[in-house]
Amino acid sequence: MDILRSVYQVAGFIVLISLGVAVLEGYFYYHFKYYARSWFFPAALTVFPLLALAGYYGVTWEHPLRVWAYFVAAEALVCAAFRNIVKGRNTLPYLLLAPAFVGLALLLVYPFMFEVYLSFHDLKLTTIMMWKNTGHIPFVGLRQYWNVFTTSPLSEVSFWALVGRTLVWTFSNVFFHVLGGFALALLLNNSIRFKGVYRTLLVIPWAMPQVVAVLAMRGEFHATNGFVNIVLGRIAAAFPFLAHLGVGPVQWLSDYPLLTCTIINVWLGIPFMMVVILGGLQSISSSYYDAADIDGASYFQKLRYITVPLIRPVLMPALTLGTVWTFNNINVIYLVTGQAGGTEQADILVSALYKAAFTYNRYSYSAAFAIVVFAMLFFISVFYLHGFDAAKDER
Amino acid sequence: MASVEFKGIVKRFKDNTVLNGVDVDIKDHEFVVIVGPSGCGKTTLLRMLAGLEEVTDGEILIDALRVNELHPSKRQIAMVFQDYALYPHMTVEENMSFALRLKRTGRSEIEARVQEAAGILQLQKLLKRMPKQLSGGQRQRVAIGRAIVRNPKVFLFDEPLSNLDAKLREEMRVEIAKLYQRLNATIIYVTHDQVEAMTLAGRIVVMNKGIVQQVGSPIEVYRKPANLFVAGFIGSPTMNFFSGQLRSEGDRLLFVNENMKLPIPSFLLHDGDRHAGREVVVGVRPDDVLVGRDGAECSGKMEAVLEVCELLGHRENLYLKLGGLRLLATVEAFFDRSPGSAVTLCFNYRNMHVFDAATERRISE
Ligand SMILES: Nc1ncnc2c1ncn2[C@@H]1O[C@H](COP(=O)(O)OP(=O)(O)OP(=O)(O)O)[C@@H](O)[C@H]1O
Ligand SMILES: [Mg+2]
Repeated sequence: MDILRSVYQVAGFIVLISLGVAVLEGYFYYHFKYYARSWFFPAALTVFPLLALAGYYGVTWEHPLRVWAYFVAAEALVCAAFRNIVKGRNTLPYLLLAPAFVGLALLLVYPFMFEVYLSFHDLKLTTIMMWKNTGHIPFVGLRQYWNVFTTSPLSEVSFWALVGRTLVWTFSNVFFHVLGGFALALLLNNSIRFKGVYRTLLVIPWAMPQVVAVLAMRGEFHATNGFVNIVLGRIAAAFPFLAHLGVGPVQWLSDYPLLTCTIINVWLGIPFMMVVILGGLQSISSSYYDAADIDGASYFQKLRYITVPLIRPVLMPALTLGTVWTFNNINVIYLVTGQAGGTEQADILVSALYKAAFTYNRYSYSAAFAIVVFAMLFFISVFYLHGFDAAKDER
Repeated sequence: MASVEFKGIVKRFKDNTVLNGVDVDIKDHEFVVIVGPSGCGKTTLLRMLAGLEEVTDGEILIDALRVNELHPSKRQIAMVFQDYALYPHMTVEENMSFALRLKRTGRSEIEARVQEAAGILQLQKLLKRMPKQLSGGQRQRVAIGRAIVRNPKVFLFDEPLSNLDAKLREEMRVEIAKLYQRLNATIIYVTHDQVEAMTLAGRIVVMNKGIVQQVGSPIEVYRKPANLFVAGFIGSPTMNFFSGQLRSEGDRLLFVNENMKLPIPSFLLHDGDRHAGREVVVGVRPDDVLVGRDGAECSGKMEAVLEVCELLGHRENLYLKLGGLRLLATVEAFFDRSPGSAVTLCFNYRNMHVFDAATERRISE
């Protein structure tokens, strides 16, 4: 009767979540209904923290005073928000949005805060038991950030080498994404037969779960049984002079892991750019091309002076997203090289970060590391979006 | 400047025939207006001349040179599109100089030609603006400026004023007329606005369903429409048509239907006997329906009932009922009669048109 038990557990879980949402909605409902009354805030400050404390009591009974103080503080914050932000507006949208915001806060804001907290302390394999037993870990100030720039997250590669490699990886990937996506979009934008079929085929790598796609491609780069090496071997056998030039099977995964990752990631990333650029191309009125024809523009001049400037508004956000995704792409690198010990030759910042945290167990160090990576991405995005605004102003 | 010749132009999109044997001769320095109802193939004809559309059959000659296969930029034409097609990411100046920059013309010459065109069109203050920062009329001038700068042999305009409001359209019409005198260029101008056609054209080409119906000066097309379509299309309000039969009675020729019996004078139709028994359509413009007064060469009086009056300011439209027929007359304001009252009317023979009912061709003089 294991099945019945699973069903029972799942059902219980769903009921629990629904109850949680119901409690949350009820809580916000009373806030939205009565927040304008003068008696509401004192009442809320006494009733809700006590109710929450009762719920807390159902789980455990540690530091009741401290926990109660937390609840009061949270309630005061909520009340202040109501007094200053919500006041006098149409409240229904806020009521409906509230649970989602609470969910986001739990899933995004809390982990981020915890990460910042960790990055100023020293949590690692030797201190984790202390943290567990006493709830305290040593405060170290900015030392973890200092460590990020001076020590290496891995055993062979230094931090600055990783930064350089990540930039090369990001730039080359995004470059080929845009190049390939642009070329394919231009082809698909012609009036050719079976356009829908091609478009579907080309979007497949993007539509598949990334893990499946990457593992399948990894198989194709296998030294003896992979498609790539088989083809290279055949070519070398058929054209001896090419073999003399060095064409032949290659140990992709052990000799050129970063190149292999790049090829796979380029293949994965092209469809997104293609779809975005194709959308941009189709929105360009054909009369600009007619006018340019009469003005005497060649194919490449039309591309350079009409097509590229006119797809810039769609290209810039896509480029920002593509850069962030590639910079942060741990899937491809981890799945191609990270399993079974793996090599460090293909590690970029985020995959090194993953190893630092979960192979070398340097939790605080990697928290600081993550914040540094976050700051880098933040500035790259701001830079791009600034460029995007400039492009928009021209129009 | 140049002459343009269309010889037996046929255009098919798949098996939809859009143009069916268009023959038009356009002389040097001529201002030709192509008019016709929507979808009759005017834009298609213009785009074929510009080289933006393939010619299915026939020949296009510019200055006696066959250009069917010539690239648009080599034909030395300039086109002003209906939606202007100004490059949205370039300033007015860049838009106007684009063609010259592509040809690697010298900086100083580009500058001089842009300034000249801007001077003609009063665009000097707008040169640094983006197209989206311009009003409709200004955009239209920029589009014309872009054409002028290239110094083309032939200008093509595709309904350039249709996006403007009535007042601006009037102003721009005058501007274009002035421009024509100044440039003294060959201009082919597409429109379905009659006033534009009548006022601008040196010659009008009336098209319908991919066939040229009539080519002639505005006054010819108005006074002597070649067939029923042209008669109905040119002139506003539309001509009144009555169908009936020609009979000869003694030495007179009569137009007869259930509601009227009109003698047809011999200056309208020679050799009356030859036409006896023919089914015809008679056309009279509302201006030539004389209500309550006499003219020099007029038909006999007829009795009609006034149904509705429309005052237009200095003219008045009268909707009349003659037996079972409805007809429209325009008279000087103010026609002081109330609807329902009886009026007498007659037709001005000088401006009456007789068409064969079967062939729809004009048979009167
Ligand atoms: N690319 C095309 N493919 C198929 N049919 C077309 C194409 N372009 C035009 N047509 C058809 O050709 C006919 C003539 O079109 P065209 O644009 O020349 O009309 P037009 O006289 O300019 O009308 P309008 O006054 O509305 O601009 C129309 O029936 C149209 O449906
Ligand atoms: Mg048109």
